[in-house]
Amino acid sequence: MWSSLPSFVAVYPEILLVVVASIMALADRWVKLKDVFAWITIATSVIALIMVFAVEGAVFGNSYAADTYGLFFKMIFLLALIMVTLVSPGYNRMVGIHFGEYYALLMFAVTGMMLMASSKDLILLFLGLELMSLSVYVLAALLYSDLRSLEGAMKYFLLGAFSSAFLLLAITFLYGLTGTTYIDVIAKKVFYPGLADNTALLLSAALFVVAFGFKVALVPFHMWSPDAYEGAPTSVTAFMAVGPKAAGFAAMGRVFIEALYNARVDWVEYLIPLALVTMFVGAILAVVQTNIKRLLAYSSITHAGYAVLGIIAASREGMAATMLYLFLYLFMTIGAFSVVTLFRQKDFLGEEITDYQGLSKTHPWVALVMLIFLFSLVGIPPTAGFIGKFFVFKAAYEAGHHLLVIGAVLASAIAAYPYLRIVMLMYMKEPEKDLAVNVTPYVFAGLIISVVGVLILGVYPEPVINFARTCCAGLIP
Amino acid sequence: MDVQGAYNAANHFLLKYLGISLFKALIVVVIALLHVAYITYVERKVIGRMQQRLGPNRVGPRGLLQPIADVLKLITKEDIIPSSVDSRWVFIIAPFISLVAGATSLAVLPIWEHFVVTNVNASLLVVLAMSSLSSFGVILAGWASNSRYSFLGGLRAGAQVVSYEIAMALSLVGVMMLAGSMNLVEIVKAQIASPFKIYAIPQIIGFFVFMIAAIAETNRTPFDLPEAETELVAGYFVEYSGIRFALFYLAEYFGMVVMSMLAVVCFLGGWYGPFDIPGIPMFWFLLKLYFLIFFYIWVRATLPRYRYDQLMGLGWKVLIPLSLLNIVITGFIKILV
Amino acid sequence: MEISLSLKYIPILITALIVFVIGLAMVIINQVLGPKRPYSEKYLAYECGLPPTGETRHRFDIKFYAIAILFAVFDVEAVFLYPWAITFDQIGFFAYIEMVVFIALLLVAYFYAWIRGGFQWD
Repeated sequence: MWSSLPSFVAVYPEILLVVVASIMALADRWVKLKDVFAWITIATSVIALIMVFAVEGAVFGNSYAADTYGLFFKMIFLLALIMVTLVSPGYNRMVGIHFGEYYALLMFAVTGMMLMASSKDLILLFLGLELMSLSVYVLAALLYSDLRSLEGAMKYFLLGAFSSAFLLLAITFLYGLTGTTYIDVIAKKVFYPGLADNTALLLSAALFVVAFGFKVALVPFHMWSPDAYEGAPTSVTAFMAVGPKAAGFAAMGRVFIEALYNARVDWVEYLIPLALVTMFVGAILAVVQTNIKRLLAYSSITHAGYAVLGIIAASREGMAATMLYLFLYLFMTIGAFSVVTLFRQKDFLGEEITDYQGLSKTHPWVALVMLIFLFSLVGIPPTAGFIGKFFVFKAAYEAGHHLLVIGAVLASAIAAYPYLRIVMLMYMKEPEKDLAVNVTPYVFAGLIISVVGVLILGVYPEPVINFARTCCAGLIP
Repeated sequence: MDVQGAYNAANHFLLKYLGISLFKALIVVVIALLHVAYITYVERKVIGRMQQRLGPNRVGPRGLLQPIADVLKLITKEDIIPSSVDSRWVFIIAPFISLVAGATSLAVLPIWEHFVVTNVNASLLVVLAMSSLSSFGVILAGWASNSRYSFLGGLRAGAQVVSYEIAMALSLVGVMMLAGSMNLVEIVKAQIASPFKIYAIPQIIGFFVFMIAAIAETNRTPFDLPEAETELVAGYFVEYSGIRFALFYLAEYFGMVVMSMLAVVCFLGGWYGPFDIPGIPMFWFLLKLYFLIFFYIWVRATLPRYRYDQLMGLGWKVLIPLSLLNIVITGFIKILV
Repeated sequence: MEISLSLKYIPILITALIVFVIGLAMVIINQVLGPKRPYSEKYLAYECGLPPTGETRHRFDIKFYAIAILFAVFDVEAVFLYPWAITFDQIGFFAYIEMVVFIALLLVAYFYAWIRGGFQWD
């Protein structure tokens, strides 16, 4: 009887996450020591990370494939989960959201992302996106007694719901054209003569751009992100800046690079202006921000603009560059947000840029760590940020988008200003007030991982870029 | 046959079909209406006897004309729409929604293999849809009345009906699994294979859940909180008078008849009995139906009203897990056998 | 001649119309036969004989809303179960396990709502 069941080995990591998350959500009431949830989350994600490397194959009628492309992104998601979990105990206890549901929601969100990255079927992709989005909406609203959190979460929810509708509409058009939701089959059918210039195909590609643009916060679909990032608890912001963004790019790779590769002329045309506007708007608006979380929000918009260059290149090298970029971005962004969480006290937000004034005098080590992350976000050579930018720019240049790359370089010059302003405040001003720093062993470990990641990958990115190249080998025919 | 002839024949056939349907529906509705009228009489009589009283005995021999007198009285009462009602149309339409939703299910409930107004494939779904629609009438009536008692009654009714609807919908899944159909005629026929020709034995949990949920769905004692006289005067229809009040009353009794018929069809083997009665094919059906209606009245005379938290607790914490368990067990046994 | 599938649903509409017409006829007869003796107190909303005061559509308990949301979740589940139940004989053991997993996942949400007091009416 049992032998008649198909094998589910390929989804074991996801099953593990869902089961553990469900138990944690239910068990919360009876567990007094909430740190246990953080330990379990980390242990589970480490096991899942090992399992992800061990399993392969396709399940659910080939609509889910544990292939190497998905593997790379799952690695990003699970690393993000581990690092965010390290940030959480100290910060969450401070703001009063330290409970089992928080970790359960993180794990549900990661499960959704993993489904997105591995889906070979647009319906499953949509389901994964919804699982991820719904979990993150709730996470963003966890500080519901704070009006900022409610406002940000509400904006995020409404715009996110819109973008889901756009995604469904895009899937509908594609289904109408090809009669299938399987990505492999779509990739073959889009090749048919007469389908290449079809209006419905153009419309579908445009709707996909809009839907994923919302998720990865490309201008002009970025409106929700500064408010949501500012309002959400900082630990959640760190997660939002990395997880859903990487998942959005994973889905973009599946849809644009894998399914619509033959229609690339069309969607590249849509993406180029978006990328340009995104980079410049993100860079310019970051200049005027006074809240560090808003600044990092605009910075993440700019970075999405860079990362999309690899997709625009529409080549194996470009996709590998985007994947590498997201992998490096994980360390620097979560690292920077981890530093922001350190200053949070019960009655003090510690989110204003001026709070960092003279940090090098009061807390030299924290200032140094922040300096490393900021340099990496700017893209200054010995750090990971430089490597990431180098590879995406190179891929876009090789694909023939010369003007676009020049624009990107200009934008990154503008984008350097706000980060360097913080550096200036930290190192060249006298401290005005004495900041208390709330360092737990968890966040200490998380910071170490981030710093080591940023520095090592900054000088020796070879294994990761090679791994990314092998991973996306199966994506493009 | 030429095209015109075929067209005429089709037209003729359609008209004939519609005419027969109209006739059947009329018969079923009128008979049900008579039943409803006399259920009120039987209810008062039975409860009277159970409480050592006589019950109605003045109008006609043994009070047999009492229901007719009631209708005549209600129909000659003044029709009052309170001035506080700000949404007149909703107020006027609400009892009709209740009534139509309550009675329309009669069209698909088979009284006998060859006596059903229309034998559709999704007839069970139709009954469930109609029973959930009837709660709209109640909620809208409570809201449109713009009175405290009505409002509370409507809210309570909404929450209660919605809660027990889940239990009812889930309790019928076991029946569908055994019969492999949603067609009520097929469900009755499938019961021949079961012990005593009824599903109430293999589906004992489902039957139990269904009966409780059916009583709650029709807002009958002990679950009559939406219209609890002692606390809410009359609940959602406190502002209704004359015949409009009677429409709600009718809707409730229609609901009772429909739920009893559904229980007979889904759990008690419909028109099949231990032996055939020649000449009266629906004998067993009616016997079972009358017993279930008597059961409703019996419960009303026996049990006191639940408290609201007990009511919701019973629905959510007992009946829903039980019905889910029933589904899992039924599936497991079917897999093993 | 065979009756088409959609045509089979027409009698349901006919039944609904008959019931509606009966109800309407009763209301119209009531309008004709019933007396009309209006005075202003008669048209007040009922509140134990006192003139009604204050707003009637005041805020009410959030519990009702929570119940409505839970209802939506469970009703959708029931809708999922119906086609599965009807084809149970044909789809076999695999579908049974799938549905047990589905119900188990639903029960997680159910017990979560229970633990968090979603069904508590105090």
